[in-house]
Amino acid sequence: MSDKPIRAYITQVLYYILGIVGVVIITVILFQYRNMLNSTTVALLYLLPVLASTTFWGLGPGVLSAFIAFLTYNYFFLVPYYTFTVHQTQDIIALVIFLIVTTLINQLVGRGKASLTAAFSRERETTLLYEFSLELAGVTDAVGIAGVIIRRTTETIQPNHIELRLKSISDNPPSTYSYPDENKPSSEPNLAIPLETGRATFGELCLWLKNPNLDPHEEHILRTFVTQGTLALERISLEYAQSRSQVVEESDRLKSALLSSVSHEFRTPLSTIKASITSLLSDQILWETQTRIELLSSADEETDYLNYLVGNLLDMSRIEAGALKPDRQWNVLSEIVDGVIVRMYRSLIDYRVNIDIPEDLPIIPVDYVQIEQVFINLIHNSIKYAPPESSIHITARTKDETTILVKVLNESPHVAPDHLEKIFDRFYRVTEPERVSGIGLGLSICKGIIEAHGGRIWAENESDGFAFIFTLPSVWDRPSSLPPHLDE
Amino acid sequence: MISTPHILVIDDEPHILRALRTILTAHNYKVTTAKNGEDGLAFAAAEKPDMIILDLGLPDMDGVTVCARLREWTDIPIIILSVRESEREKVKALDYGADDYLVKPFGIDELLARIRVALRHLAKSQGLNQNVIVSGDIAIDLTRHIVTKAGNEVKLTATEYKLLTYLANHADRLLTHLNILDHVWGPEYLGNVEYLRVFMSQLRKKLEADPKHPKYLISESGIGYRFITQE
Repeated sequence: MSDKPIRAYITQVLYYILGIVGVVIITVILFQYRNMLNSTTVALLYLLPVLASTTFWGLGPGVLSAFIAFLTYNYFFLVPYYTFTVHQTQDIIALVIFLIVTTLINQLVGRGKASLTAAFSRERETTLLYEFSLELAGVTDAVGIAGVIIRRTTETIQPNHIELRLKSISDNPPSTYSYPDENKPSSEPNLAIPLETGRATFGELCLWLKNPNLDPHEEHILRTFVTQGTLALERISLEYAQSRSQVVEESDRLKSALLSSVSHEFRTPLSTIKASITSLLSDQILWETQTRIELLSSADEETDYLNYLVGNLLDMSRIEAGALKPDRQWNVLSEIVDGVIVRMYRSLIDYRVNIDIPEDLPIIPVDYVQIEQVFINLIHNSIKYAPPESSIHITARTKDETTILVKVLNESPHVAPDHLEKIFDRFYRVTEPERVSGIGLGLSICKGIIEAHGGRIWAENESDGFAFIFTLPSVWDRPSSLPPHLDE
Repeated sequence: MISTPHILVIDDEPHILRALRTILTAHNYKVTTAKNGEDGLAFAAAEKPDMIILDLGLPDMDGVTVCARLREWTDIPIIILSVRESEREKVKALDYGADDYLVKPFGIDELLARIRVALRHLAKSQGLNQNVIVSGDIAIDLTRHIVTKAGNEVKLTATEYKLLTYLANHADRLLTHLNILDHVWGPEYLGNVEYLRVFMSQLRKKLEADPKHPKYLISESGIGYRFITQE
């Protein structure tokens, strides 16, 4: 890595030599015509190599060539020749003026060149910063920003090793990014720049440099990179905080919607129960047996409904908490469905239920209780919207080698196509709240359960009614648990 | 024979205790109540009731533990009361030897039916072992290893026969998947509920008039199976 300074050094030496060569050439040429030229003309002509040296090779070679020119001018062209002594006053003046003019020229040309170099480096700096901020604008996370800072700094400064230590920003945990990935130096970094704004500190950029002292340009660029990078980090951290507060707000809104909906929903069956029981407790009327049974049956039905509501609420909170893990076992779908129909016989008394599940439907790896809940909720929903005396069809088919498809079809009215997906959202009900009871949790629970099983659920309008359709896996990647064969 | 069966109810809810005491006394049972697990265990040891109704959610100890402690010294029937949310605990209690369960809230008819089954089972296990188990049109001859349905012999494989007799020997009791797997297949098959499902569906095809709506071999919501004694 050290041939670069050596090469620069050789070039510099070459420039000095070229400066001397220029003077030597002009001396040789002028020497041929020494008798035809007076000393003033010679002095003027000597300015040529000095000027050329300063312009092309820099101030140093310029000064050296001026000095050599001064000596050769004196030695070869001022009487007495071949000595450094000067006799005529006029020649002394020419010599002094020559010295002054060359010095002035050197200074002027040198300054011009220096300001040109500065302009170039400013332009480069501006381009670098422009590209840097352009790239920063394109990334939206802390990892991306860290990548830009590391890459750009490495390209510009070329340190031996660079490390960016970030604190936790948005949902990104504290982390360290470095380049190159391996060979972290054991020594302390030469330079550590904190990434901080007035409000917060986001981390630190550490550099192990080849040359411990950065030139002011590089340092300036580096500091600007760090400032820009820090601002970008602050930007995403603020954006994150804002979106978080929106989420919290949304969930608060949902919670209060749930509470008001739930309390309303619970009071309805409770009112029925209270009314029935207090009627029977009252000793003012002697109830007929038939009326007593009716009052008690309605109280009984409403307690079942209350129990169903409580179950759904608990399921919902489990889905919310991500605690709804299916406890899978190989199950027979028809067994689950039959169990549900038996349990719900009282609600289904006004409906015709058709079950069409083929004998050879594969057994499925599902949580019995949860899939039972799916059917209970879908049937509840069907009863809620379909007219009494209508039919509910439950069919199941093998969809492909790994999936079965289940359909619950009822005769309820069609749902507008743009509502079909929304009915699986929490608290969503198609009709106005007064008409139909329920808190709009049942279908979203079905969705939660089916998705936890790796299936999908959707709704469709069909020519003969409205259908809920869902898929369930018929394979299970538990190796020890292949479905057994029937023969023994 | 037991004249007035004695039932111990262990539950921490005073309202439930009051209701159960009133209802069960009206149905001619003698009722003792305990409001926590320690008291329940003490009463059970001191008064030797004929059966225990045990709530899983007790303040001082886990209902499953109470069940396990009782089973250390007695075989008296235990009926578990649970809520739907404690599905796994319920199965655990049944695995530990509880006889049956009811999910709160339950209808009193259901509770009375379970109590009758449990007491009948108690009476049976105290009597002599039967040679032939009969339920409806099914007869299982345990000495000759022959199963008949409406007088016609039904061909069963060895495993099917073993499964059927295990269930029939514990007729009307809820047997968990684990319990059945352990006794019929052996402890190394405990994870393979699918075996049980497959064999059960074969048995139903051979024994039930309508295998889709079984009368004898009833499954209980993902918990286990029950062989029903039909008159």
